[in-house]
Amino acid sequence: MDQINHLRSVLSGHDLTFLAEVPVVYHCHHYNLFHDQTIDDALGEEMSAQIRFRAARSSVGELLHKVGHALNLSTRTERADLCSALLPWMGHGRLLVQSTPQGGEATGTNLHYGFAWREKYGARIKRDFPADSFAAGFAAAACEYIEQLPPGSVEATEDRCLVLRDPDCHFQLKADSRSTPYSTIDRIAIERHVIPSFGGLEEARISAITEGLRNFVRGVAGDDRGVIAAFGVFVTMHLSNYYNGTIYEAIHHIEREQPALLPVAETLFREAGIQCVFNTFGNMLLSAEWEGLVGKPSGDPLEMLSSFCAIARGLGFGHWIVHEYDAGKRFVLRAPIDYEVPFYLEQYGKTDKPRCYVLQGAALAMTVLAHMVRWKDNPKLTPEFYLSLFRGKMPWTAEQTLCPTRGDTLCEVVVQTR
Amino acid sequence: MSTHLFHSVVEDVPSLRAAFITAMPDCLLFASWQAKESEIDVEDVAAYFGDLVRSNRQGLKALKTWSAEMQITIESAESLILLREINADFVFGAIFDRSAPLGMVRLHLRRMLDRVSTQLPKASLEERPRGVRILEFLDRYAPDPHAVLLRISLRTGIPVETLQAAESLQTEQIARLEEAACRLLGLKQLNL
Repeated sequence: MDQINHLRSVLSGHDLTFLAEVPVVYHCHHYNLFHDQTIDDALGEEMSAQIRFRAARSSVGELLHKVGHALNLSTRTERADLCSALLPWMGHGRLLVQSTPQGGEATGTNLHYGFAWREKYGARIKRDFPADSFAAGFAAAACEYIEQLPPGSVEATEDRCLVLRDPDCHFQLKADSRSTPYSTIDRIAIERHVIPSFGGLEEARISAITEGLRNFVRGVAGDDRGVIAAFGVFVTMHLSNYYNGTIYEAIHHIEREQPALLPVAETLFREAGIQCVFNTFGNMLLSAEWEGLVGKPSGDPLEMLSSFCAIARGLGFGHWIVHEYDAGKRFVLRAPIDYEVPFYLEQYGKTDKPRCYVLQGAALAMTVLAHMVRWKDNPKLTPEFYLSLFRGKMPWTAEQTLCPTRGDTLCEVVVQTR
Repeated sequence: MSTHLFHSVVEDVPSLRAAFITAMPDCLLFASWQAKESEIDVEDVAAYFGDLVRSNRQGLKALKTWSAEMQITIESAESLILLREINADFVFGAIFDRSAPLGMVRLHLRRMLDRVSTQLPKASLEERPRGVRILEFLDRYAPDPHAVLLRISLRTGIPVETLQAAESLQTEQIARLEEAACRLLGLKQLNL
């Protein structure tokens, strides 16, 4: 896997990360499950599964082709080996694809979504529809890539899933004559939207931590199960084209069909960002790795905010800066772009409103965690603690005031006390 | 029944850590007592065990073995828990230390029930609106309970403000709410 590891790159000054020029970002299972769940809520399970499958097939298809091209893979065996190795390396579990030009089948173990859903919710609620649309998309794209079929020509149906209490996950693959070009963006497309980068408060500290984190992340890969268990969460290297393709399809569907519900959907997508910061960022700060790299968090709010910015950069979210901080009253988070903006602009063009939902939720969560958590007491970031912080009316409000998707030159979220 | 009276019935029972009465079918806490060192969220306990009794009742009915004398005994690592239907409207729950002999526990339970049952209101409780009960059920069992109203709103198309006044939901809205609740919980129907 060293060869694949060498295909990582960073857009300098913007902290956007790539694998073979395909944009990637790290997210934990809490974010991933909430993200998919919100798409389900917005579209219904059937349409949601289709949109998530297509976004996965498209983004994975592009990734496989670009990785294969970068590694000069030419034989069917080499292509199949790449498909076997890549998914577990990214922390998504293992998937054995047995493809033919007509389709075939794939069998998964510990696939991220099903595995994580069962771990998080399985003892509490039942589920009667499968969870692994991303892996279904991967299986279809792998079949297309291995068999040299046209993009978007293979459909996948998950007929066994861990969340349905099956022992593993299984997909039927079927090729047909239809094809759909992959609808993704790559590094070249993203570079069309960058502006000169800039710094903010605590810039030297943030940059130094980011560098350390990035070195740490370079060594992160799935274990024998294909799982990355770190910081108390299951981490994945994921394709930002998947996140963006699914969020914006759902948002646009709501805008067309039920515009009155748009604020509800947007709040839930922000909530996914809050879950990300609480679970991943928060547990990273409390980890032994963080203590070794940075030291124990002091709990000083500005230090915490700058630490969160460093984590965001290290995970590939973008060049987040503390633009302004008025102790206990106001925090302004800025970024030249984040991983959401270029996709929107490339796929849909300019719009009349801000579209950085992860950034919006994250800014609010960062502020709450910086001011309302006693970090020195080494708190346990439990679901109960989460509810105590984020349930009901919070003492802070967040608003995205600048966004390139509506013509502004940068992203800005202002968080202030009510 | 007064709090004072309930406490007088239960507070001197050996090995008893907590006792509660749950009003059915809403699973609301009607009366409670807990030992000084105990830190139980009695409202939650009353609600969850009320649901358990209801499920148990329906399971036994499905087996055609239900009787009004039904009692549930739970032996956990630290506690011995007994649940008993006093009548159709009330469930009595008692949480004993795990080390308490079962025979003694049953004896005390019977004595407590004898005294409590005569003090409970005779009139049946007014059933609260189904929409309210569905949302309370979701609050207890749905994942991410803080997001439940938003999720239900998105699934049903019912505005959040309307859901917040669930007692006023129309019949058709309640049907949509119930269907969405079943989807969130993976249930075929809600046994409320």
